[in-house]
Amino acid sequence: MKVDPDFLDTLRLGGEFNARQCINCGTCTALCPLGMEIMPRKLFRYALLGNKEAVLKSTEPIYSCLLCKMCEANCPGGVHIAENVRALRSYLNAEVLEV
Amino acid sequence: MTEPAKEEPRRRIGVVVCQCGGNISDYVDTEKVRSEIAKEGDVVSARVEMFACSDAAQQNSIEEIKSKKLDGIVISSCSPKLHLSTFRAMSSRAGLNQYEYTQANIREQCSWAHTHDREAATGKALRLVRAAVAKTAKSEPLEKMRVETTPQVLVIGAGVAGLRAALSLSDMGITVHMIDSADHPGGHVGRWGTLFPNNKVGKTVVDGLVQDVRTRENIMLYLKTELVEKSGRVGAFNVKLRTGNGAAIPLQVGAIVVATGFEPYAPQSGEFGYGLPGVVTLPEFKELLGSRSNKPTYEGKEVRTVVYVYCVGSREPAEAGNPRTYCSRYCCSATSHVASVLGAADPGLHQFHLFRDIRTYGKYETMYEHALQSGSVFLRYDEENRPTVERDAKGLVVRVKDRLMAGEDVEIRPDLVVLVTGMVPRANEALTRVLKLPLGQDGFYREAHVKLRPVETVIDGVFVVGASQGPKNVAESVTSALAGVSKAGALLLKGYVDLDPLVARVDPVACEWCGECLKACPYGAIEEVTYGDKQVAQISPILCKGEGGCVPVCAKQAVSVLGYTNEQMLSMIDAMSPGIPGKAGAPSLIGTTSRKVPVKEGA
Repeated sequence: MKVDPDFLDTLRLGGEFNARQCINCGTCTALCPLGMEIMPRKLFRYALLGNKEAVLKSTEPIYSCLLCKMCEANCPGGVHIAENVRALRSYLNAEVLEV
Repeated sequence: MTEPAKEEPRRRIGVVVCQCGGNISDYVDTEKVRSEIAKEGDVVSARVEMFACSDAAQQNSIEEIKSKKLDGIVISSCSPKLHLSTFRAMSSRAGLNQYEYTQANIREQCSWAHTHDREAATGKALRLVRAAVAKTAKSEPLEKMRVETTPQVLVIGAGVAGLRAALSLSDMGITVHMIDSADHPGGHVGRWGTLFPNNKVGKTVVDGLVQDVRTRENIMLYLKTELVEKSGRVGAFNVKLRTGNGAAIPLQVGAIVVATGFEPYAPQSGEFGYGLPGVVTLPEFKELLGSRSNKPTYEGKEVRTVVYVYCVGSREPAEAGNPRTYCSRYCCSATSHVASVLGAADPGLHQFHLFRDIRTYGKYETMYEHALQSGSVFLRYDEENRPTVERDAKGLVVRVKDRLMAGEDVEIRPDLVVLVTGMVPRANEALTRVLKLPLGQDGFYREAHVKLRPVETVIDGVFVVGASQGPKNVAESVTSALAGVSKAGALLLKGYVDLDPLVARVDPVACEWCGECLKACPYGAIEEVTYGDKQVAQISPILCKGEGGCVPVCAKQAVSVLGYTNEQMLSMIDAMSPGIPGKAGAPSLIGTTSRKVPVKEGA
């Protein structure tokens, strides 16, 4: 995977994506009712590392999210996970789906 | 019925068998030990105490020493490490010379070691007590040697630790001679920009200290100066300094504080791309930044993306005799600090940290959190899969396997790679030789004991502080310097020092001077002198530590350690061994084997 530092800047401009406090413990993924492997830890890791390709490929999981906040309520780092998913959606809306 | 008549006692020795409140008496028959030892010829009193160290029991012992006119006392109890000084002081209070007291360790060596076998533990305890009685029977009164001290200290190294030490010694009214091989004081810290955790600027900190040093009348600062000679003893070392222009300055100082610091690890060419344009070490990066806290530039170009590679030169595998197996402690905190300062000032700066383990210990953990919050991304790499740094037509490229993504390959193209290098010992061979200081496994100066005797060395009056002893951050360095100051102050402000008389002594009649003892002595306490019409060895009782290395190498048995003489050791062995098979006709240990005679009472 190639790191694209500017990608993270783009995400930040589009919404309020912020997973800085993430310590990669994986609590979010363990609790996620969808059981999709990439959600949400790996997805955020890709976003943090500026892996645009991986984010673009994850359109389905990103839109599948129920925004139930089960992960967010239990996140020890206090990451606003649902907000971040919304930020990713607004990025995809503009960039990919062009809505 | 009458007991067999005892021989006329030559000595009047009292024995106390301690039960240690069951710690001993649960496994050793203390009453049996008492009744058996009472039959020994030199023993005039023997009693059992519940706690020999209690005030009441000590008072009983004092009464007994006085009323029975004892000229020696044996207390069989715990390790001498615990209560040797307690009972020596007790003997002194009773008017008995403290070196006529012997401690037999029947707790650690009997009751605690042989809980499964009461009879054997009791037998062993009896042998140990008999040996202690035999040793006491041949003891002689000894006096501590009182020597005067000079209230002056030589501080070697004018870095942050040395400067702080000099100022604090000066506050105590002690005259300080501070030397540094460089042409300006300040050491490494003066070249660094913002320091953690308080964001003070290194140069400001050092300049403040130097300014203060220059105003003190009792601090002499010698730059471009080295220590070339040291002789004498604790409290009165004779040292010779050599200045840059070759002038020699002789001084007498009471103590020496070594604050020579460290060197930053210099990566080999090619190690993580070191040598390529755009690859720098952490100290180089700090110098590059200076006191600025945003918009770093490298060769005139603004830096937008930085990659930090941690543990460069530290925590290397032990094979191939590499001494750099240690963690340098300060680097994780320093890097997290730099990253959080830069990130807070410029959220657009991209910072990637490739680490093995993050050790921002104590409250420095908050700096790691700040670094995370200010946008730093941390990627953990394996020792076996280290990141690579290369340069192609488009610029620098760093490749790493991210453990948090199950080893997925990550490729970053940064503007600058910072190698987070640790600390290595300074190349100080000449100074180490002059001071005869031992080095630890890692090449830094070794403390006498990391917990019990920090900053002290095996050489009395010589202290190692700051990063000369091991990697430290600025705060730890200064703390260590102040520890050295308080040790030196405690030593010198009293005006004298009392030295243990348990030192080696040469019988000049027996000595034929072969020089073997001189070679065996690590303290330089032995010299060749003329005695009548021959050459003999002479031991300085002040330099000698009673270590005893000289005793077994003497073919003439002319050397013995006071308090542990050859006669005493032999009589202890004889007293210990009745009933042991093969004892009869066994050769004497002394002079026939290379085994060292134990010389200090220890556990």
